[in-house]
Amino acid sequence: MTLLRQHRIAAFLLVLLSIAAFATSQKDLVLLVSGGAFAVLSWYVTEGPRGRTLPALVSNSLILVLLAWTLVSVLSELDLTDSTAVLGRFLLWLLVIKLFSARTVYEDRQRLTLAMMLVVCGCLETVEFIFAALVFLFLALSIWTAMLWRLQASYEAARASRRRDGALLPPPLEVSVGRRVLPQFRRVAVASILAIFVGSVLGFTLFPRFGESRGGRTDSESVSGFSDRVDLLTNERINESRRELFTLRWLDPAGEALRSNRPIYLRGAVLDRYDPVTHRWEALRTSNAIRAMRTPRDSKFVALGPGIPDTTGGVWTAEITMRSLATSVLFTVYAPFAVATDESYSVAFDPATLLLRDVGTDHVGRYWWYALRVQPQPSPQMMESLQGSIDPPRSNVSFPVAGLEPIARGILKEASLAGLPTAQDVRDDPSLRWMRNRETARAIAGWMRGGRFQYTTDLTEFRVERDEDPILAFLERHRFGHCEYFASGLVAVLRTLGIESRLVTGFVAIEYDDALEQYILRESNAHAWAEVRTGDHQWTAFDPTPEESLVQISERNRSFVDRFRWIYDRVEFLWNSRVVAYDSAAQATIADRVQSEWRTAARSGYDAFRAEMRALVERFSLGRAALFWFGAIGLAIIAAFAAWFVARRHSLQTQRRAGLSSLPPQEARMIARDVAFFADALDLLERAGIPKPAPRTPREHVQTVANRAHAAGVAFERLVERFYQVRYGGHRQSNSDREETRDALDRLKSALLSGR
Amino acid sequence: MHASRRRTNFGSVGFVYCVAVVVVALASVNRPNNLLVWIFAAMLVALLVSGVVSGAMLLRLRAHRIEPRRARVGELLVIRYTLENTARFMPAFDLHVEERGLPLGLVAAGEAWVLHCGPGDTVHAEAVLRPSRRGLHRLPSFEVWSSFPFGLLRKRLIFERPSDVLVEPEVVPLLPTLLARVARGGLMGGVRASVEVGGGEDFFGVREYRSGDSVRNIAWKRLAGTDQLATIERSRAVPPRVRVVLDLRRATDALRVTGGVDPRTLEEDAITLAASLMALADRQGDEFGLTVLGLEVAAIPLRRGHFHRAKVLAALAAIDLDQPRDASASLRDSAERATILFVHPDRADTTVAPSVGWNFTASQLATLRLPLERGGNA
Repeated sequence: MTLLRQHRIAAFLLVLLSIAAFATSQKDLVLLVSGGAFAVLSWYVTEGPRGRTLPALVSNSLILVLLAWTLVSVLSELDLTDSTAVLGRFLLWLLVIKLFSARTVYEDRQRLTLAMMLVVCGCLETVEFIFAALVFLFLALSIWTAMLWRLQASYEAARASRRRDGALLPPPLEVSVGRRVLPQFRRVAVASILAIFVGSVLGFTLFPRFGESRGGRTDSESVSGFSDRVDLLTNERINESRRELFTLRWLDPAGEALRSNRPIYLRGAVLDRYDPVTHRWEALRTSNAIRAMRTPRDSKFVALGPGIPDTTGGVWTAEITMRSLATSVLFTVYAPFAVATDESYSVAFDPATLLLRDVGTDHVGRYWWYALRVQPQPSPQMMESLQGSIDPPRSNVSFPVAGLEPIARGILKEASLAGLPTAQDVRDDPSLRWMRNRETARAIAGWMRGGRFQYTTDLTEFRVERDEDPILAFLERHRFGHCEYFASGLVAVLRTLGIESRLVTGFVAIEYDDALEQYILRESNAHAWAEVRTGDHQWTAFDPTPEESLVQISERNRSFVDRFRWIYDRVEFLWNSRVVAYDSAAQATIADRVQSEWRTAARSGYDAFRAEMRALVERFSLGRAALFWFGAIGLAIIAAFAAWFVARRHSLQTQRRAGLSSLPPQEARMIARDVAFFADALDLLERAGIPKPAPRTPREHVQTVANRAHAAGVAFERLVERFYQVRYGGHRQSNSDREETRDALDRLKSALLSGR
Repeated sequence: MHASRRRTNFGSVGFVYCVAVVVVALASVNRPNNLLVWIFAAMLVALLVSGVVSGAMLLRLRAHRIEPRRARVGELLVIRYTLENTARFMPAFDLHVEERGLPLGLVAAGEAWVLHCGPGDTVHAEAVLRPSRRGLHRLPSFEVWSSFPFGLLRKRLIFERPSDVLVEPEVVPLLPTLLARVARGGLMGGVRASVEVGGGEDFFGVREYRSGDSVRNIAWKRLAGTDQLATIERSRAVPPRVRVVLDLRRATDALRVTGGVDPRTLEEDAITLAASLMALADRQGDEFGLTVLGLEVAAIPLRRGHFHRAKVLAALAAIDLDQPRDASASLRDSAERATILFVHPDRADTTVAPSVGWNFTASQLATLRLPLERGGNA
């Protein structure tokens, strides 16, 4: 009965866990606290000394009110994109109401189902590791609870089946329980949980996938982080996540790690196309000259282009160690010309943007470590060898947003640029164009950093009027925003002025760990800035975002927990890289690897076997008869093993049937050899429909057998006498004894047959 | 005892669960969400684990039905089972034992359930049946089933072990003064002189005084005449004797009944009344015997006691009303001194026997029944 009592607490914990999981998926602390508090209160109310529950009428009324409230809230907002969250909240409060209802098996089943649905709703909302951890805990506990619920439901059903029938009152149900029920239940439950976990891993691996996974971020989330596109219409408050993504070691040409006196920009995506309809920055996918290469296994550098000039001196190295970011992008410092990885990877290099990307052919997880060789001020020869004729300068540059030109002119005027080459100067001497670009960009970026614009990640007040472009709204009306707005504004102004520029997203390295001599890159270090063409093959980064704002972000929310974050981040990275990012490509990789490894192992095993056999043939000079001898020996070994197996099985059966299990193994085996006849006799009787129940002694069973068939009883009595002599009298069977028992067995058999 | 057959069933819970699995599968395909995929895989594997665990649990389970005792209409019959788990490692949980193909006369009134039967354990469980009809009933087989661990699949072991149960007719509590009126205080009495010495009141004889004899029993008149002490011996108290004669000479369809009354019910009521009369006699210490007229049932002599009562009730239980009747049967004259109670299904028939007796009909069962407020049952 102790086992049955565990059911309620397990079911309650399960419900509590489902509420916590859903609240975590919503990142709603209020929901967690309020839902959890009501749930805990329900335990006190229903399981407390008074054991009160809500009457059915009240609970049904509450459910109707909840339903009406949910419908009203849905209809008033008419936002069906958040339907899962609304459904989840409805289920959560429904579950809370149900917690106050009567504790019956039926209600328990409803609560279990609702909890399961709540967790599934959470799964539709997020795939974050902390939520996933709660889901796995929930699954384990639900398996445990379902087992207990099954027992409880059967117990209640068996009790209910003994209902009073008129004057007849059935005897109360006596729960039959064997020995050591709790440990055995735990064993079965834990084994089931493990089996389900292992099987689910297999199922997860083999489940057919038809595309790429979303990499662990849902669209609805507003957390700082890298993205390869910029959407300017999301006026939300962005939470600055302190999640540690990767580290950067910045090595000077001498190989010494040092801290740069300026922030280091790590490029992840180059966005050069702005869509004025969707207000979104995207990458132009036009480059046909992407170079694919395979990095060697031993961390040796491989050049990113042909004919890289001698780089002796002035070469810096950026070593990046991934900790918790699952992405195929290799973040690079401008401009890389060689890459090295800890394992062999397939890397695609885009000469137009100088970006690197893993094309994901060999590895499920993403990079653990890679290094890039860069020249901070690359020579024209280097850039030419990297880019070739890709991405030539464009003469007609514009920005597809109307009404920007007067603003750009005004800014240009406000920036009070003096001494810049005029358009006529540029036409006369094209080399002055790059200087004009650089100086204009520097002046406008400096103007934007000069306190006229306010940096903030809270864009809830950033309202855009109908047909108004957010960049215009940023430059003209609001003048506040985060780095994407700053960079967009700069690029828009520059392009309006005819200066070729583009938006770049990635990370900015600011936080430096002096002890480890490396930069720490967190999600809050995700950044966007602008690049301006300052040469035929040269782009220069300009950051209009105030640097002190970046430092403030880096310093903000810092706590002692950051020291230990890497543990959690590491696990989360594993989760994101191995599970969330697991897609059809990774599946194909695993399949290929398994296939090749199996084939290799089978081939090597076969070769080794053949070599051993050949050695044996030569050693014993077996010649052509070797096959025969090997076959005979193999058959003999198989026969011997089968005989041993059968004998052992028979011995164990005899020990069990003769009740020798409590004896020491040696003694049990010895006696089992002499009392095999008894087990045979019991088998005969069982087949004849006279089984011996375990609690009945052999002597008592003789009487039962005799009642059914007298002759059989007589024969069985002789066998039982002999059994007692051997089992308890220390008698060893002689040959004549064996003959005698064999005769008795035959007589028993014939008596039973004739009895039929 | 090994199972004869094994079966696997898919219950409603399992069906709903499968629908849920399909829904989660569709959701995980529609929305590329690996966590959902994992949950789908876990749900699918849980279905397999459910089948494997319940199958492994019952793989080495043996069950045995302990031969049921006699049953009686109006009383519950408890059937006991022995479950033995011969597995070495695998325990069995949530075992239900149910009779299969119950005959019409037996209704399930409580299932047998075993929470746990560990490896090497033997446990007992008991199911409750409610006999609703007298006669010999056959329990053809029983099954042990379990839907542990999750209730998705129901694995069944079917044991084809036919067993017979003899259901005695219902014994209705009758008015306690009934027999006193007809047998003791009445003219026929049924009382006879005892031929054994005992502690009764009637004079039996005189013998020589022995040391220890009560002075109350000394024959004082004889002492006065012979001057020798003598003790008066009393005869043993002899209970009244009742022979119940169940008149079943008429075939069922030849019974003289008014419209709307089922003749077979009347016959059953007559058997019930006969059983109740004998039970009352037994309870009051009378000797009783049974004679069934019209069917080939051996007359049971006058005795008393628990075993005799069981014998009489078994005879009544075994009466097969579908057998051909002997309409010419009659009660033979014998030297037996007993009150004779005739029980007729339809009407009293005084031609049944030469001797005088009391006639009862089946329709009197309701009037002779002890009222509820005086301790009778419903």
